[in-house]
Amino acid sequence: MTLPRISIKPTLFHLLRRLPMPVIGILIGLIAGLAVWIVLDQVQSKAVERIFGRELSMRLDLRARESLIRFEQYMTNYAATTRLLANHRRLAQYLEPLFWFPGETFEPVVYAGFRPFWLPDVFGRNALLAPSHVLLVDSRGLVREVYQAGDEALPEELTGNLRQWLGDLDEVQRILARFDDQPYLVVSDRVEDASGYTMGSLVVLVPVDAAFLAASEGSFSADRSAVALIDADEQRILASNEPQQLIPGSLLSEWSDEYLVTSQSLPAYEGSNWNMLFATFIPERLVAKMSSNVSDFERNQRLIAALVFIAVFTLVIYLVSARLNKVLKRMTRFSQRALGIAQPGFKGGGNQLLLLEEWMQHFTSLVLRAREEMRRKHEHEMRETEALKAAIMEASLDAIVTLNRAGAVIDYNPTAERMLGFDRQAIIGLDFVHTFVAPSDRAHFIGLLRDSSRRGPLGERPHARTELRAVRGHEQLFPIEISIVPIALDEEPVYTLYIHDITKRKEAEREIKGLARFASESPSPILRVNGAARIVYANAASQPLIQAWETESSGPLPTRWCEQVRAVLEGGETLEHEDDLGSTIYSLLFVPIQDLGYVNIYARDITAVRRAEQESRQHQAELVHVCRLSTMGEVATGMAHELNQPLAAIVNYANGASRRLKSGQGDSAELVDAMAHISGQAQRAGEIIKRLRALVGKQQPIRSAVDLNLLVREVCSFVEFETAKLELQIEQQLAEEAIPVDVDLVQIEQVLLNLVRNALDALEERMPGERALLINTRRVDDRALVRVWDNGPGIPPERMSLLFDPFFTTKETGMGMGLPISLTILEDHDGTIRAESRPGAGTTFQVELPVAADDVETSARAGTLEPSAARTLTLIEQPGAEVAHG
Amino acid sequence: MSKELTVFVVDDDQAMRGSLQWLIESVGMQVETFDSAHAFLDAYYPGRAGCLLLDVRMPVMSGLELQEYLGRREIRLPVIVITGHGDVAMAVKAMKAGAVDFIEKPFDDEQLLSSIRKALEYDEQHRALYARKAEIATRLAELTPREREVMAMVTDGKSNKEIASALSVSAKTVEVHRARVMDKMRADSLAELVRMALIASTPT
Repeated sequence: MTLPRISIKPTLFHLLRRLPMPVIGILIGLIAGLAVWIVLDQVQSKAVERIFGRELSMRLDLRARESLIRFEQYMTNYAATTRLLANHRRLAQYLEPLFWFPGETFEPVVYAGFRPFWLPDVFGRNALLAPSHVLLVDSRGLVREVYQAGDEALPEELTGNLRQWLGDLDEVQRILARFDDQPYLVVSDRVEDASGYTMGSLVVLVPVDAAFLAASEGSFSADRSAVALIDADEQRILASNEPQQLIPGSLLSEWSDEYLVTSQSLPAYEGSNWNMLFATFIPERLVAKMSSNVSDFERNQRLIAALVFIAVFTLVIYLVSARLNKVLKRMTRFSQRALGIAQPGFKGGGNQLLLLEEWMQHFTSLVLRAREEMRRKHEHEMRETEALKAAIMEASLDAIVTLNRAGAVIDYNPTAERMLGFDRQAIIGLDFVHTFVAPSDRAHFIGLLRDSSRRGPLGERPHARTELRAVRGHEQLFPIEISIVPIALDEEPVYTLYIHDITKRKEAEREIKGLARFASESPSPILRVNGAARIVYANAASQPLIQAWETESSGPLPTRWCEQVRAVLEGGETLEHEDDLGSTIYSLLFVPIQDLGYVNIYARDITAVRRAEQESRQHQAELVHVCRLSTMGEVATGMAHELNQPLAAIVNYANGASRRLKSGQGDSAELVDAMAHISGQAQRAGEIIKRLRALVGKQQPIRSAVDLNLLVREVCSFVEFETAKLELQIEQQLAEEAIPVDVDLVQIEQVLLNLVRNALDALEERMPGERALLINTRRVDDRALVRVWDNGPGIPPERMSLLFDPFFTTKETGMGMGLPISLTILEDHDGTIRAESRPGAGTTFQVELPVAADDVETSARAGTLEPSAARTLTLIEQPGAEVAHG
Repeated sequence: MSKELTVFVVDDDQAMRGSLQWLIESVGMQVETFDSAHAFLDAYYPGRAGCLLLDVRMPVMSGLELQEYLGRREIRLPVIVITGHGDVAMAVKAMKAGAVDFIEKPFDDEQLLSSIRKALEYDEQHRALYARKAEIATRLAELTPREREVMAMVTDGKSNKEIASALSVSAKTVEVHRARVMDKMRADSLAELVRMALIASTPT
């Protein structure tokens, strides 16, 4: 691989490649920071010096002025003190008696070394240096008295007339004068005696020497600056506050190297006899030191600032470049992965920017190679697909035709040629619709073609599959099934049609349809259900049945038949059942078709047959029921009403009669009549009761010979509905042979029915599934026995004795007449009834009837029983074994 | 209890009718019996005082129907309903329709008789009031309009002078009217006149 070299020296480039970007970032930051600092340092130093020089001269100026002001202030203090002294009480008192004659000659009085009375020590009090001389001068200017502090005599110039020094006497006057090279401060003021007479002047003389200057500047010399009085003409120092350093008499120029000198004129002292300047000296080294201090400090500050700046700058560069490095590294890794380059491009370290640039070239070549490879692979796949497609087209049993958007054929397979009856090349370019689709179906087909490329709301394709009729060889019509698949190519959409010749299938379908009509035309319901008992076929006639089952043509069978369907399918045997749907009864024939897993159900409406059977049975049941009710219930109610009438009348007659008898009114004939009425009404009540009794035994029993077993079966069928409701099957243990009895059929049925109903009522208190009801019949000699046993709650012993009493009942709706009437009926038949009960375990009623006479005779002839014995049996009421069934 | 008061018994059962008559006559009350509602309606005219003993359960026209019929005709004969056993619902209906009492068969004679007495008493009072009212109404009808005005004011408690000023006539004239009102209404005192006015205004 050749890499384009960036035009840097190879060694330097190599180094750059090696250094990671963050390191380069730090280096750049440091170098740049250093360069900037060096430049800035030069510029700034100069600027600082300039500013400092300006500041220094200003401060020196200020300092000089301050010194001068202090000096002047000090002198002013002398003026004020002099004024105080001149006007002092003592001086006035002293002068009072004196009078200096103008013309007299005199010698001045000299106080040497001691203070006269008129001179109090005010200077010391005012923190001023004591003056060297204090003079009293008369109004002509002649010195009269002199106070001399030290040894020093009064200067020569002042011994004569002092007029020139005094000036205007109204104001205090101060003058700097030079006497004998020594500068002095001369302060004078007018003095008056106590009576206000002007005597002359007071003159105070103070030498301006080192002490004076030092005192004037006070302690203000911390910076070792000095002050001096200078003769302006001679440029000579007259007096200084530091006489050891600034020697009086020396020339000013001698000090210009060592000190910075600022000289100022003293304009306030014009009356002076010489030209003076006030100079301030500040040592040069002091200034230099200060200057260097300032610049050093400033440089330090600058250095710290620069270091901080460089550090921050470097850090920022470092962070940015580190981040950049990471990103570039990741980019590199990503591109490596994306291009699938196995060999690592670079190690972790190094300058990622440069490395990436190098690798860019590598990537480009890799991409080009990969693209080339993919293209080759794709071409290969294309060729394979083409071959595969051609094979599929060749082998397909369906005709495959491809149409362009205009509907012209652009491709086809051999099956299409055969099916459509066209030569190979003749098909291409033909309009498919008008050539191959039957005219009647063309609109439909075009519609399908159009719709096939549309998509539903959820993006699904419409089911572009349909049955059409096609044309073979311009004339022959034949049915096809066609499926349209649109292919969205870039240039234009094309359609692939899969065409299947369904001529044979159609024929078969027609055949099957014809056969299927057998079932559909049947007047009886015919259904087919699958293994899950779901209806898969139902003919028209089965609609009523399906409705009665409350299901649908493709719904499930009622659950009661599901089990049946399974059983028939497993057993493989045909079964027949009846289904009572209330209004209609069907006989259902279940025929399994095991290999298909279906069961065919052939239903027959047998309502009429069963209705007829049931009607006759129900008729009998109703008869018995009506009989029972009319004799028991309604009659009893009516009876109560009817009895009420005669009873009320009797009560009225009796009450009326007793009232009449009590009150003594009414004749006996009347009372007898009333009595007659009473007895008549009582008779009437009796009649009513008799009528009731007669009701039971009213009909003369119509005796006929009948099988007792048959009676039991009949009775059981009467209560089928009730037993079904209680989910109970009456167990019939009947004698194998017929037991002929000579009875009134209806009455005995009524007795049995009554017992069975009682048992059913008792069983209602048991849980479903625990209920049992057993009836057995047997013959013992010439007696026929029927036992009705139930496992109901039984009858409590205390009720057993009341069992056959009229109107005794345990039921809310009962009349309490069932068992009494049964008893009466059985008595009529020479039969008996008895009851046994164990509370909690059940109750048994046993009915005994004589066997029919003919049969008994037969038996008697056989030597089994005396016929007369049958007649001797009567009702047996076992003590404690009977009770309250209504 | 005056002689004109009659207990009318309507029952379809002969024995009941006879025995009730026997019982009620034993305390000296007058009894008339009818075997059906129609027979009773044929014989009865509104002026007859008494009470009606009625069996609720009768063929053709039941006791309730008869009671309703009488109510429609505004015949305010007090009705006692006789019920058999279990006819309580019917008795309640009868009571709601205005019967004064109901008695269950067979009867407690004391209860029956006291019930009858109460009914007769009620009828008598009602009738007396009604008769009095009718009488007053007849007398009121004889008054002239002006006399009626005067009477209204008199019974209102107004003095002669007040009436005279209200009617703008002289006190003397009022005096004359007033005397004539007293005369026509056959009132012995002012108090009686006021009572008459009160009775006339009570609703029946």
